[in-house]
Formats: sequence, structure tokens, C-alpha cells
Amino acid sequence: MLLGIMQRKKNNRRGKPVPHQRGAGWNRRFTAAAYVLAAVLAVGLLAALYLKMGNRQERYEATFFGSFDTVTVVTGYARTQEIFEEQAGKLEQKLREYHELFDIYHTYEGTSNIKAINDAAGEEPVKVSQDIINMLKMGIDMYHKTEGKVNIAYGSVLSLWHEYREEGMADPGRAKLPPDTLIQERMEHTDISKIVIDEEASTVFLEDKDMSLDVGSIGKGYAVQQLSSYAKEQGMGHLLLSVGGNVCAVGGKLDGTPWQVGIENPQLESQKPYVGTVGLSGKSIVTSGDYQRYYTVGGKRYCHIIHPDTGMPSGYFPSVSVLAEDSGMADALSTALFNMELEEGLALVEAWPEVEALWILEDGGIRCSSGFKFHEEK
Amino acid sequence: MKKNDIILIAALLAAALAALAGIALYSAGTAKGAEAVVYINGKEQGRYPLGEGRAVKIPAGDGGYNLLEIKDGQADITKASCPDKICVDQRPVSRQGESLVCLPNKVVVEIENGGEPEIDGSTN
Repeated sequence: MLLGIMQRKKNNRRGKPVPHQRGAGWNRRFTAAAYVLAAVLAVGLLAALYLKMGNRQERYEATFFGSFDTVTVVTGYARTQEIFEEQAGKLEQKLREYHELFDIYHTYEGTSNIKAINDAAGEEPVKVSQDIINMLKMGIDMYHKTEGKVNIAYGSVLSLWHEYREEGMADPGRAKLPPDTLIQERMEHTDISKIVIDEEASTVFLEDKDMSLDVGSIGKGYAVQQLSSYAKEQGMGHLLLSVGGNVCAVGGKLDGTPWQVGIENPQLESQKPYVGTVGLSGKSIVTSGDYQRYYTVGGKRYCHIIHPDTGMPSGYFPSVSVLAEDSGMADALSTALFNMELEEGLALVEAWPEVEALWILEDGGIRCSSGFKFHEEK
Repeated sequence: MKKNDIILIAALLAAALAALAGIALYSAGTAKGAEAVVYINGKEQGRYPLGEGRAVKIPAGDGGYNLLEIKDGQADITKASCPDKICVDQRPVSRQGESLVCLPNKVVVEIENGGEPEIDGSTN
């Protein structure tokens, strides 16, 4: 190039008309090369710009309330926030449907739910959706697999505690425990074999008029599992669903690595927020603990998980987390393990090859089943 | 190589460079420091940089409130009108994606713009 310019200058100085430089082969090749280079650069940069603005999937998060009395967080990827919000909105709607189906306190127009079954206890079978039947069957199955340490027919006792807990939280000075005689009386009406499911007629009947269902130990997990299948059907392949700490990974992250899920440290005063993290890809982790939902009577904490054998709040350890393929199963099992001594629970989990668990003990110690792997232990 | 060639090539390169500068500026513009973002019932109410200490009273309807304090680069709910006080019991948060939640008041305080998160979710 320099040569070309110098030549031209030289020629100019001589006062000769400058012929077109086309005759110079080197120069022509150079010009072409410069054009190609500039064009490639421009196209490359425009492509980068296009990818950045138009086609790249960004990570988004949506938070919503209103289902299962907890907060739901959906983390995923989409090209724009609008697209993501539309997807999250579908999931929110779906979750709400399950909330209504499994609700024991409210009636919804056009929905035959768990409350309807409870209301008709001792009277008549109630026609319900296949989702309710599947969930109840899973609950009954989990009762038998855990020697009765999680019982969906325990509603009569749970509602008693619920009542006393709500009152105690609203007016802590006058918080009290339910009278023992009342607990014993309610425990008479918790026989899970009195749930009669007629699959052909799609009905559920409670034979004991004083019994009631409470699916708090499994309904949320079941719903999250259904939500994850629904998400896949809708083409959402990389999602992390967290419904009140019931965490389910649909696939991994966009880059193929697993989602990192922290297991919260029950010692809330500690500087360490998590005891460790686990990598989650296409699986669920669910924790049952006594340190978040509880009420205090006479300086002592009483948590919301009630032991089916004693009718009293459980207190073997602060928390247990279950890692499993199915979120509903993980949910029910974490409640069952919370109602078992550590060694008993450990034996149960070890006999179940596809399930792992982690216990956090009162002194801060940690116990894991043999296949439990931390991504990072804190 | 004619003068026009040079001008055209220069123009192409200038346009490309301008686009590059635009991308860089756009990226810089979005990569602000970490903020505590307050949501009530899913709607954004305010953003507060973690770098500046302050106390914000979040109104939560029916005279309810949550007091958000930002101190030493951390956000914490230190007082609240809710019955369960789970939000007050929660640890201060400072890392991307971490959040404070008050279920009765439907208040969420979430850390955003804090870079790549270390943890994607948590179970408790």
C-alpha cells in the first residue's frame, strides 16, 4: 500500500496523468482483500449484535404466590422476558389448579377437591379427577413403604394442631398445646385403610365420618412433578422449579451443567447459609424441617410435622432432605424420615437404590446415605 | 487502490467499530452493581443498590410492613408486622438470586444484577 501511494505521489510530482492503478496486480489483490476483510468484520459484528439482541436465550426468574401457601420460583431461559413470563404464567396457572384440587380448606366452583372428599366422609363416594386418585394412591403406597410414618389419613389430628398453632402464632402469650385427651380421641380416626378408591367409577370414599385427608406431605411434591412433565411438553427443557423449597430440576442449565441447589442450614444465626450444594439435573430434592414452621409454647418449639404414632410434633433432628427422581415421592419420604430416628431412616433409604438423603443433626453434624454426593460441602 | 476504495473500506470498518462500541456500551449499561429489588405480590416496587446503606419500610397493605435494611453490602429484613416472622429470622442476603420472603405480606426482596449466581435455588 505504501508503495502504491509513493508511486502515485512520485507520478504526480512528475506531472504525468495518473493512470488507473488497475494495472498493478498486487494492488488489485490488496484492494479486494481489504474489501473482503472489512465485509467479514462488518457481517461478523452484525451477526454478534443480532445474536445478542435477538436470538440469545437469557436467564430469567419469576416469583409468585397463591399456591400451596408458599412462594414459587421458576428459573429458566428464554429469548425475551415476555416469552419467559408467558411460560411462567402457564406454570403458575397449572400449579394453581393443583392447589385447588388438593385444598382441604376451600371449595372452588367446578372443582371436586380433597375438601369435597372430607366433607362427604361417612356419607358417600365423591367423583374426582384422575390426578387426585393417582396422588392418593401414591400416598397410600408411601404409607406402606415407610411403616406408616407418613399418613395422608391423618387430617383429624393435623387440623387440631393447625388450629392451636394458628391461634398460638396470632397471640403468642396465650399459645397452648391441644389437650392430650383430644389428641388421643382424634387419633382414633386416622385409619388409612378406610380410604376406598374406586378407579372404575373415579370415586373416593372415606368410610369413617370423623376421619379426614390432609395431603400436605405429598400434594405439593406430586403437583411439582406434574408441573415438570407439563413444562417438558410445552418445550421448556431447562427449568428449576422451587415450590416452597420443594425443588425440581427439569433438565440441567442451558449450558448442560446441573443446577446448583443449596441445602439450607437450620441454624439461622450461623454465618453459613447452606450446609452444602447439590447438583440437580432432572431430579428433585425436598426437605422437611422443624425450624421454619412452628409455634412456641412455654419457650419450647412445636413444629408442624406431627408424628403419626404419638400425635405429637416430631423432634429427632432439625432437618432431612431427600433426593429422588420423583418429586411427590421425595416429598412424602422426607416427611416419613422426619418422623423416624436417624438409623431407622438411613436403613430405609439404603434399601432404596434410587433415593438418597441427608440429615442435619441438632449439633450441626451431617449424616448422608452412601450415594449422597455434595457438589460442594460448605 | 482508489481513494474511494479507501473511504468505503474505512466507512465499513467505522460502522463495524461503532456497532462493537454499541454492544460494549449496552453491556456495560446492563451490568450495574448488585441491587436489592423489592416485590409485593410479584410486582416490582423499588431497587436499592447494595453499596448504599439505608432502611426502607415496605408497605404491605392493611397497615402491614417489612423493614428492609441495607448495610455492609447486605440486605436484611429486621422488623415485620407478619405473625410468623420467618422473614426476620432469615439470614441477610447479598449474592445474586438470593431472596428474603415474607409469605403473609407477599413481599420478596431479591438480589439482582449481582453477576453469575453461585446457587440456583435452595431447599429448606
